[in-house]
Amino acid sequence: MSDQTHMHAEHDLAPGDEEQHSVGVRILGYVVGLVLALLLTATSFFIAGTDLVWQPSIPVALIVLAIAQMGVHLVFFLHITTGPDNTNNVLALAFGLLVVFLVVGGTVWIMAHLNANMPPMDQIMRMQ
Amino acid sequence: MLGKLDWSAIPLDQPIPLVAGAVVLVAILGVLIWVVAKGHLPYLWHEWITSVDHKRIGVMYILLASVMLLRGGSDAIMMRIQQAVAYQSQGYLPPEHYNQIFSAHGTIMIFFVAMPFVIGLMNLVVPLQLGVRDVAFPTLNSVGFWLTATGALLVNLSLVIGEFARTGWLAFPPLSELSYSPGVGVDYYAWSLQISGVGTLVAGINLVTTVLKLRTKGMNYLRMPMFCWTTLASNLLIVAAFPILTATLAMLLLDRYLGFHFFTNEAGGNVMMFMNLIWAWGHPEVYILVLPAFGIFSEVVSTFSGKALFGYRSMVLATMAICVISFMVWLHHFFTMGAGPDVNAIFGIASMIIAIPTGVKIYNWLFTMYGGRIRFATPMLWSVGFMVTFIIGGLTGVLLAVPPADFMLHNSMFLVAHFHNVIIGGVLFGAFAGFEYWFPKAFGFRLDERWGKAAFWFTFLGFFITFVPLYIAGMLGMTRRMQHYDVAAWRPWMIVAAFGMVVLTIGVICQIVQLVVSIRNREALRDRTGDPWDGRSLEWATSSPPPVFNFAFNPDVRGEDAYWDMKVRARQQSLEHDVPEYRDIEMPRNSPTGFVCAFFATVMGFALIWHIWWMVILGGLGAFATFVVFAWRDHDEYVIPAEDVARIDRVNIEERRSLVSMAGAI
Repeated sequence: MSDQTHMHAEHDLAPGDEEQHSVGVRILGYVVGLVLALLLTATSFFIAGTDLVWQPSIPVALIVLAIAQMGVHLVFFLHITTGPDNTNNVLALAFGLLVVFLVVGGTVWIMAHLNANMPPMDQIMRMQ
Repeated sequence: MLGKLDWSAIPLDQPIPLVAGAVVLVAILGVLIWVVAKGHLPYLWHEWITSVDHKRIGVMYILLASVMLLRGGSDAIMMRIQQAVAYQSQGYLPPEHYNQIFSAHGTIMIFFVAMPFVIGLMNLVVPLQLGVRDVAFPTLNSVGFWLTATGALLVNLSLVIGEFARTGWLAFPPLSELSYSPGVGVDYYAWSLQISGVGTLVAGINLVTTVLKLRTKGMNYLRMPMFCWTTLASNLLIVAAFPILTATLAMLLLDRYLGFHFFTNEAGGNVMMFMNLIWAWGHPEVYILVLPAFGIFSEVVSTFSGKALFGYRSMVLATMAICVISFMVWLHHFFTMGAGPDVNAIFGIASMIIAIPTGVKIYNWLFTMYGGRIRFATPMLWSVGFMVTFIIGGLTGVLLAVPPADFMLHNSMFLVAHFHNVIIGGVLFGAFAGFEYWFPKAFGFRLDERWGKAAFWFTFLGFFITFVPLYIAGMLGMTRRMQHYDVAAWRPWMIVAAFGMVVLTIGVICQIVQLVVSIRNREALRDRTGDPWDGRSLEWATSSPPPVFNFAFNPDVRGEDAYWDMKVRARQQSLEHDVPEYRDIEMPRNSPTGFVCAFFATVMGFALIWHIWWMVILGGLGAFATFVVFAWRDHDEYVIPAEDVARIDRVNIEERRSLVSMAGAI
C-alpha cells in the first residue's frame, strides 16, 4: 500500500495532507485567516445596519462580502492554492462550482417559468 | 412501544406477497442452515463478510445485484401478465397491489440491480487495471457495500411487513405526501434510498480517489484503460448528483414526519420543486449507470477485435463531455409540466447534443472492429447486441427530446419502451458483458460458452419481442402504469409483450444454468494463465483469481494497452529470466465495521419507518459507536512476508512463461 500512496508525493498531496511547513508558519496562516474572516463578518453586520452607504447597494455589498468570505475560507483553512500540488483540489472545486451553478441557475430559471405558467387555480381565476 | 407496528402490518389477506415472502424466507433459512451445518460460517465471516478486499466486495455487489435482478424480474413478469389479462376486467392483481409492484420494480431495478452491478464491476476491475493493490479507502468500501445491502433488505422487508410505495419509482408528491399516502410504503421507499444512497456516495468518493490518487508507475491519465476513464466520470457524477437525491428525499421526509410544507399542496409548498430536484439527480443517474457500461464495451470490443481501441482520445473527450452535459438536460423529463417555449427549447437542444458524444463512441467501437480479427465470444456478442439495441433506444430518445413530440408521447408506453431500451440494451447488456468477461479473473475459471450464447440470444430476441409492442402500444395512445384498460387495439400487443417476457425469462434461466454448469465443469474451464481472452490491460497481468495483493510488483506502464505492450516486449526479448527481489507487502486488515454499521442502520431504518423512536436512538447510537471504535483502532494493516509473495508469484510467472513461449512458437 504505502509505496503506492507515496508515489505521487512529490507533486501531489492528498486533500487534507499538509505541506511541510514549520508550526509557526502554519499558525500564522490560520491567524491571518481568522482575522480576515472576523473582519469580513463584522463588516457584513455593520453594513446591514448602517445608513452610511446608499441603501440599494447594501444587498450587493453583502453578496461581495460573502464571496470574499468563501475565498478566505478556501485559501486559509482549506489550503486551496494555485501550486502544482493542488491541481486535483482546484479541479474538484471547479467541477463542484460548475455543477452548483448549473443546478441552482437552472432551477431558478425553470421554477420562475413554472410559477409564471402554472399558478394555482384561484390565481388563474383572479387574472381573468 | 412498537410505534405503528402491529399484526395488521402483515398482509394475511393477500396470498401473493405472503407466499412469495414465505418462499424467500424458507430459501434464506435453508441457505443459513446449510452454511452453519457445513461449518462454512467462520469462512464466510472472515473471508467475505468482513473482507475489505476490493475484489471480494465487488463480487458481493454483483451477487446482491443478481439476486435483486430476480426479484425485480419477478415484478416485471407479474406486470406483463396483468396487462395481458386485464382487458375489460380487473386482472388478477388488485390496483393497490399492482401499484406497489410497478413502484418496487423501478426502485429495485435502478437502485439495487443496475447500481450495485456497475459499482461491483468497477470495484473488482479498476484497481487491477490501474496496477495497484487496493482502493483508496478499503474499509469505507465495505461500509458502502453493506449500506447498499441494508437498503435492499428494507425494500424486501416491505413485501411481508407493511407495504411498499404505490407512487411510482420516484414518489412524486403530492401523491407521496402524508395526506394521500398515509401508510408506511413511501417511508420504506425513502429510508431505504437514504441509507443505500449514503453507501453509493461512499463508493463514489472511494473510486474517484482511487483513480485520481492511486495509479501505478507510468500510468498517467492518457494511458488509463477506457473503463477507468468511464469509472472516473461516472463516480464524479455520483459525488455531484447523489447529494441532490438525499436532500430532496430528506425534504419529503420532513414533510411526512414533521409537518413541513416543502412539496405539499397547502401552505405554500411547491410540488414542481420536487420534480425539478429529483430529475436534477435523475438524469445524471442514467449516465452514472451507462458510462461504466460504455467502458466495459470499450474493453471488450478492443480485446475481442485484437486491436487497440480506435480513437482513444476522442473516447476520453466524449466521456468527459457526457459527464458535464448530463447536468444540463434534466428538464426533458418534465417538458409537459408548464415551462415556457424557451426553457423547453434549450433543454431539448441540450438533450439532442448529448447524443453526439454517444454517437462518437458508437463509431469508435465500429472502427475498432473494422479490420480486426473478431472473436465472437459471449462478451463480444453482448457488445454487438448492445450496439444494435442501444442505437434504436438512442434514436427514440432523440425523438422524445423534441418537445412537441414529447407532448404526444409523455408518460406513454412509448416512453416505457424507450428507457427500457437504453437501460436493458445499454446498462444490463454491459453488466452481462462485463460479468462474462471478468468472471475468469474473479474466480479462475471461464463460463460455459454454449449456455452463455444461448442466454444472449434469448435475452436479445426476448427484449425486442417484449418492448417493440410497447412502442407500438404507446403510439396507439396507451399510457404507462395501467392496472386495466378497455381499448381493444392494445390487447394483441400486450399479449405479444407477455410472450416476449417468457423468452426473456428463458434467457435468465440460461444464465443460471450457465453458472451451475460452469461451476460443475470448473476444472475443464480453469484459466491457469491469468489471461484467458488475450487481454490488453493490466488486470490480465496477474493470476486468476488474483492474490490478495494483486501484484507482487507495481507494474511499470510505458504506453496505452499496458499488458499488450508487456506481452509484445516479452516475446521480442525471448523472456526476461532475471529473478526479481521480492519485498514484504502491507495490506489492510479485514474489519467487521461495514457489517456492524449496516446492522445498526437496518435497525434504525426499520424503526424510523414504523415510528419506534427508542429503537431509532438505539440504532443511531450503535452505528456511531461502531464508527468510534473503528476510528480508535490501533492496527489496520498486516504484513505478507516476502517469501509468501515470492511463492505465490512464482507459480503465476511459470504459467505465464509457458503461455508466452507457446504464443511465440505459433
